[in-house]
Amino acid sequence: MTEVLLGLFSGIAFGIVVQRAGATDADEMARAHLMLNGRIPRFMVSAVALAALGLVGLEAAGVGRTMVLPTSLVATGLGGVIFGVGWGLSGYCPGTTWAAAGEGRMDAVFALLGGLAGTAAFAHLHEVLIPALYLPTNQGPLTLTDWIGNPLAAAGILAAAFGGAGWVMGRLWGDE
Amino acid sequence: MRNAHPSHWSWSASAFALAGIVLFIFATFGPPASSSGFVTTLKGFLEHLAPEYAASKAHYRAMPGPGSWLMAFVVGMAVGGFLAGRSTRIPVRDVPRIWERRFGPGRAKRYLATFVGGFLILFGARLAGGCTLGLFISGSTQLAVSGLYFGAVIFAVAMITARLVYGRLLREGYR
Repeated sequence: MTEVLLGLFSGIAFGIVVQRAGATDADEMARAHLMLNGRIPRFMVSAVALAALGLVGLEAAGVGRTMVLPTSLVATGLGGVIFGVGWGLSGYCPGTTWAAAGEGRMDAVFALLGGLAGTAAFAHLHEVLIPALYLPTNQGPLTLTDWIGNPLAAAGILAAAFGGAGWVMGRLWGDE
Repeated sequence: MRNAHPSHWSWSASAFALAGIVLFIFATFGPPASSSGFVTTLKGFLEHLAPEYAASKAHYRAMPGPGSWLMAFVVGMAVGGFLAGRSTRIPVRDVPRIWERRFGPGRAKRYLATFVGGFLILFGARLAGGCTLGLFISGSTQLAVSGLYFGAVIFAVAMITARLVYGRLLREGYR
């Protein structure tokens, strides 16, 4: 029960923040993808930079649980291409469909229904697609720390790169 | 450039808030995820409608059903969106403004596009192992190569797709 309440609380907080950031508005998301406004991508990369530094602290304190997903050259990349087409077309990603549907946007309700259909289709084909596309090029759960050695240094490099990318987006795309 | 909605938070305030929530979730649950919540939702339906089918498929066996953190999280996101929407003046539209300028105000065309888009984002996310949150944000926060790789691909492909969808507006001088 505690787990359900924690999930509910986390979800409510998350939904409020993505709405206030403008990420539930497909008009704003399209303008981000068209490089007319860098606010949403800058928000995303900056959140990752801050969270990556914070997570080093949590891990040092022995708090929480992490789980690094493997990199499959084909499945992660092809999944990203399919995802990117859907994201560019609809302006929604899986999390924002829930928040935008809750906000009352009917097109997000249809994105949510389409998402359930896409999930059902993939789950049906899992036994065929995972051995064909995921497993052969699975490189395992690689992280930057594997290459750089020190977790704090690796997080610092990532945070600097993401912070820099956000700054460039703000300069080039503007951020109202 | 249009004026920002006064109810929107700045990118920096939003980023601090989101990072705080992501760290809270890592501390109290584990890596946050949302496309997995679609699997959990479907599993809940299928356990009633077609229990043998659900039990026979690895993708449903790998995820918890309703009554889990994941289910509560996605429902919470809808509640959060509702509460946030009720407390601002950000206009809620069924057809986004930019879509209306490009394709007209017809709802059917927009709903078909978002249904197809929704299908693709979930099919792609389930193939890759996660979505914007579960793979890009969760993964990159853990310095995972999978999250960085997925993030680079989804941003690049979404930007190209948006240009194909809305490119005519840009050529007509839309800003």
